[in-house]
Amino acid sequence: MKKLAIISVFTLTGVLVMSCGDNSKPGLDYMPDMKQSRAYETYDDHSNLSSKGVTFNNRPVSGTVSRGEELPYHLNNDSTGYAQSAGYANPLPRLNDTEMVEAERLYLINCAICHGTTLNGNGPLYNDGKGPYAAKPAMLVGDAKYEALSEGTLYHVMTYGKNLMGSYASQLNRKQRWMVAQYIKSKQGSAESSDAAAGTDSTASAAVAGSTMTTAQ
Amino acid sequence: MIQLRRAVKALVSLVFIISCLFSNKIFAQANGQALFSANCAACHAPYKELTGPALAGVEERWGDKKRLYAWIRNNQALLKTGDKYANELYLKYNKTPMNLFPNLTDPEIDAILAYIKSVPDPKAAAPTTDGQGATATSGEDNSLLYGILTLVLAVVVLILLQVNSNLKKLSDEKEGQPALEPVPFWRNKVYIAVIAILLFCVGGYLTVKGAIGLGRTKNYQPSQPIYYSHKVHAGTNQISCLYCHGGAQDSKHANIPSVNICMNCHMAINEYTGKDKIYKEDGTEVDGTAEIKKLYEYAGFDPSVSKVWDPNKAKPVEWNKVHSLPDHVYFNHSQHVKAGKVQCQTCHGEVQEMGVAYQAAELSMGWCINCHRTTQVQFKDNGFYSIYQKFHDDLKNGKIDSTKGITVEKIGGTECQKCHY
Repeated sequence: MKKLAIISVFTLTGVLVMSCGDNSKPGLDYMPDMKQSRAYETYDDHSNLSSKGVTFNNRPVSGTVSRGEELPYHLNNDSTGYAQSAGYANPLPRLNDTEMVEAERLYLINCAICHGTTLNGNGPLYNDGKGPYAAKPAMLVGDAKYEALSEGTLYHVMTYGKNLMGSYASQLNRKQRWMVAQYIKSKQGSAESSDAAAGTDSTASAAVAGSTMTTAQ
Repeated sequence: MIQLRRAVKALVSLVFIISCLFSNKIFAQANGQALFSANCAACHAPYKELTGPALAGVEERWGDKKRLYAWIRNNQALLKTGDKYANELYLKYNKTPMNLFPNLTDPEIDAILAYIKSVPDPKAAAPTTDGQGATATSGEDNSLLYGILTLVLAVVVLILLQVNSNLKKLSDEKEGQPALEPVPFWRNKVYIAVIAILLFCVGGYLTVKGAIGLGRTKNYQPSQPIYYSHKVHAGTNQISCLYCHGGAQDSKHANIPSVNICMNCHMAINEYTGKDKIYKEDGTEVDGTAEIKKLYEYAGFDPSVSKVWDPNKAKPVEWNKVHSLPDHVYFNHSQHVKAGKVQCQTCHGEVQEMGVAYQAAELSMGWCINCHRTTQVQFKDNGFYSIYQKFHDDLKNGKIDSTKGITVEKIGGTECQKCHY
């Protein structure tokens, strides 16, 4: 009888030790009083606040602009708004070199996955139709239809999306969207000038690119 | 001889003519493909509804080729004539106007149509890929083999021990020594001592390990409402971590992506067509297409009703948090990602190889401190650390070895109040 008890105790502890290896549970805590916050933290469930008489809405107050943020964009997400966006001027000054590097970084993270690192509309998700994304993304460089778009229209599409492209307003703030619009335009300008005016020096071609941009707006 | 020459000549000319014919055909096809890619592919695919309808069988649906030409060149003009099929089509696709292609000639449109016809139906071709699944599972067979081998060897060892003791007994009997009363193993002092020491060591090890592990959640891998594979997204499809977790560079928290970010791609990608099959940790296969359907339920998106997704219908997906630091320690993602330029994988492990995300690092205080002691701060071209003038000067005039550099510890990264306040 005693033997049986000893053996059963051993097997039980063995089973307990084995069951500790379950990775779907976070495991045990020792005095978790200072581990879990009493205050509400990010992603906490605050659906019960209204029952406690607390008025809380995690959206910014309507009509306000946070500090350092660009002013809101007032065109609507419809065909008239899209048409008007062509004349909407970029509120940012021309980007300097370090800002352009940052704009390129933002483009590579958020846009290049579809539109390609060289803006040729052939990112890893499309990959000449072999990737999972069935629709061919816009050829931002090399297609006259997209090269003719103004920075305002590029911003409009980034804000609201177009056809199968979704809105990027949750990933890029207003300033970042204007920066990316300028980056795309700068790439289009440089590709055009290198094709058209191989003889002229770079500053002249940049000026040409700048003038086409202002006429487009 | 002359006959042979003639035959050779005829053969050569035949080959030439055939090759001409074929190259012509290839040329026409490539042309159609290029035209399709340049003009149509942004909104149409042969076998998938995108912004516009799937184009396979488009000629049969329109019947009259002249109307199809007119539709492709100027769909708005055809709509105004009151063409019934055209107007139905326009309504079905939410009145999204198709672009006008007035410059496409008849042969060019024919080339595009020929290309659409030449694309094979992926559903008909699907069964050919089955052979790959069998090879993928062969990795598991090895561990089973090793297990069986170990078992066999253990049995052999037991048998040999038994044989040895029996032989000893026999030789003892031969030499005339009296056989000792056999002691049962649970009363054998040597056995008891060995087992006691073993239990003490193993038990002690497990107790200490368990005590250290209290409150730490290494390898924690909760199941999630949707089987989201980081391997497919960040590994195979090369999506940057910051595409979805952009908050890591701007704020304390690396945000969990909203449904909107998922739908940026999954509005178009509604089925899993990857070559590699997805397996859960327990080996069961995951149906990627069914998991995308789960996302559509959260998003309130039904492709069969409307191609346009209304974000107002979306409900948040309640993902389970994997990495959780205690409230009494301050940690800021942007400090590490933006100023420190630390790679995500340094703390989160090879996420691009993970199926369901799990906690790869210990996230204990010792783990933090060790990294702060050894990691060099990226002083070069980093405006964030320009305030440390003395260190910059010392680096320049060689007082500090530039190969060793400035560790995080040197700028106060191991002070208590840096993280606990």
